[in-house]
Amino acid sequence: MHIARMAGAVIMVLLSAAPASPQGKPAPDDAYLYFVWPQDGTVIRGGFWCRFGLRNMGVTHAGDEFPNSGHHHLLIDVNDPLDPNEAIPQDKNHLHFGAGQTEARVELPPGKHTLQLVLGDAKHFPFKPPVVSKKITVTVK
Amino acid sequence: MSDTERTRGQVYSIRGGRNGPPPDEAPRRLAAIVAADIAGYSRLMGMDEEGTHARIKRHRRELVEPTIAEHHGKLVKYTGDGFLAMFDSPVEAVRCAVVIQQSMIGRNASLPRDQHILYRIGVHLGDVIVEPDDVYGEGVNIAARLEGIANPGDVFISGGIYEQIKNKLVCAYQALGDRQVKNITDPISVYRVLPDPSALMKARKGRRVAMIALGVVMIAALGSAIGLFLWARQQLLVAYPVPPAAEVPKTAQAPPPAAPASAPPAQPAAAPIVTPPPANAPAATPKAAAVPDAPSTGANAPIAPLKLPAMVSLPGGTFVMGSNDDSSEKPTHRVTIKPFAISKFPITNQEWRQCVSARACDYAPVGNDDAPVANVSWNDAKQFVEWLSKVGQKNYRLPSEAEWEYAARGNTQTKYWWGDQFQSDMADCKGCGAAYDSTQPAKVGSFKSNPFGLHDMGGNIDQWVEDCWHKDYQGAPADGSAWIDKTCAARVIRSGSWKNGTNYVRPGSRDYYDTGVRYPTHGLRVAGPP
Repeated sequence: MHIARMAGAVIMVLLSAAPASPQGKPAPDDAYLYFVWPQDGTVIRGGFWCRFGLRNMGVTHAGDEFPNSGHHHLLIDVNDPLDPNEAIPQDKNHLHFGAGQTEARVELPPGKHTLQLVLGDAKHFPFKPPVVSKKITVTVK
Repeated sequence: MSDTERTRGQVYSIRGGRNGPPPDEAPRRLAAIVAADIAGYSRLMGMDEEGTHARIKRHRRELVEPTIAEHHGKLVKYTGDGFLAMFDSPVEAVRCAVVIQQSMIGRNASLPRDQHILYRIGVHLGDVIVEPDDVYGEGVNIAARLEGIANPGDVFISGGIYEQIKNKLVCAYQALGDRQVKNITDPISVYRVLPDPSALMKARKGRRVAMIALGVVMIAALGSAIGLFLWARQQLLVAYPVPPAAEVPKTAQAPPPAAPASAPPAQPAAAPIVTPPPANAPAATPKAAAVPDAPSTGANAPIAPLKLPAMVSLPGGTFVMGSNDDSSEKPTHRVTIKPFAISKFPITNQEWRQCVSARACDYAPVGNDDAPVANVSWNDAKQFVEWLSKVGQKNYRLPSEAEWEYAARGNTQTKYWWGDQFQSDMADCKGCGAAYDSTQPAKVGSFKSNPFGLHDMGGNIDQWVEDCWHKDYQGAPADGSAWIDKTCAARVIRSGSWKNGTNYVRPGSRDYYDTGVRYPTHGLRVAGPP
């Protein structure tokens, strides 16, 4: 337990020591991003509505520079680490919700898939520290 | 108002198909009504009339209007301190209300608590009388009553709305039971919408408020302590001025200790208005031709002639659109294209800046003149083609998705325009070859042209087309026209960018993005008459 906590602290220090990015908008420490649905391990038949939960920050449109608010990005089967100094990529594995959406219809081929949420700022950059959800695994039948 | 007319038509047919409207009767229809007002409006106005008014106007422009439009609603009117909106869909109505409330959390976050602007929102599904600029009926009154009993920052919905959305929109709903409201005979079942289901637990414990208050007090105390410390230090440092670089931002973040109540509200640093106008909003187009861009051409340079994009005329023809490489590209289908012209390159920063100088394009790009313009939304792209048509005296437009693919294939039917096998150095993408800069797109025309003489039809910069996004080609038009729905939140992008992998370089590859949102890899090319 203690080791994990210390490792967490070390990571935090390392992150804050990283070179200043053009963005790096601050996020409150208690910001919490999570999946309302599905949950880790959910087995799903066909397409599904993916619901995004966010606590202690607000959802706004991409482009809006309001403090403590951002918009959702859904990462599907992404293994590359998140680059805090670059805009969150945009492709078929990185879905953007710049209109302030808090849910999305997702259709995935059968099999195991990972899902993760990342909150982006007005210019699609991750916050500092990054506001990311737990990476969950779902199985599509 | 086409909606109104359609409803009218249906009403007549029920009445036996007699011609002519019944006199003096406004059409009735079922609608989800959203009523909102600001809690403590009089108090806010009493505290700072001008500041509050300015903030509310900003919220209307930047949040209320675009959010209603995005959810396919109609703003009926502004009331003194709130608004009334109408939606066809209860789901969209509640979604809109939730987005507004959540956005307000972010906007209030940086302000002291007594300056928070909090909306109370009521949503009700009811039969209403629609007039050109207002709606009437019990449905509206009930929405207004729900709004009246809602807590600041909350959305209250009626049972009718709840029944429609309970399985569709995952929020938590707290049943508040039947309530008797003023001047409405029957009690109304009321539900409170909790956008975050876990808030249901918290809603029952009132502890948070106390915690937040404690936090605010502590931050304020800390802020004043730091301020006092720095002030004292500054006094001492007058003789030895060392820039206290690290501390300065801290003081800026801490709330000013004991600010006078009448001070103007601490607005978040004047952020540029980046919310693009809705797609069909008329762009502020100039009457005259382009004004030269003085900074880029030098102070005493002569007036630069208008530079129109180089166009390539393509013959019409029939081709097979789509592929079996991705589910979004199926089914493959034959499409016949009429002759048209398309720009040889993506639109460059230089071309785009002419539009900015003419005050017809809102977005001012950064980057080299010969690089493709990037970070433009579909709405921005429409502003550009509208301006270009005016100054170019020709109907410039975005290509349809079918035209784009036809142009990209250049009479080939292979996976890439150069063959079925991937080849290095043919396009600008991640994994496309040696000469690759991961930080920015290449200048236009850096790579070989396709058989039609077009450059960057795949890779380098994503390109908006006219079409609404459809997840595959079921029901796609076969005449090469753009596939448009009555409303669409997302439009198609083609080509892939320098950031994408080799799979995106294929002429069949397609993706989409929200219409009004800018992203750094999105640009465009234009189409026109042959």
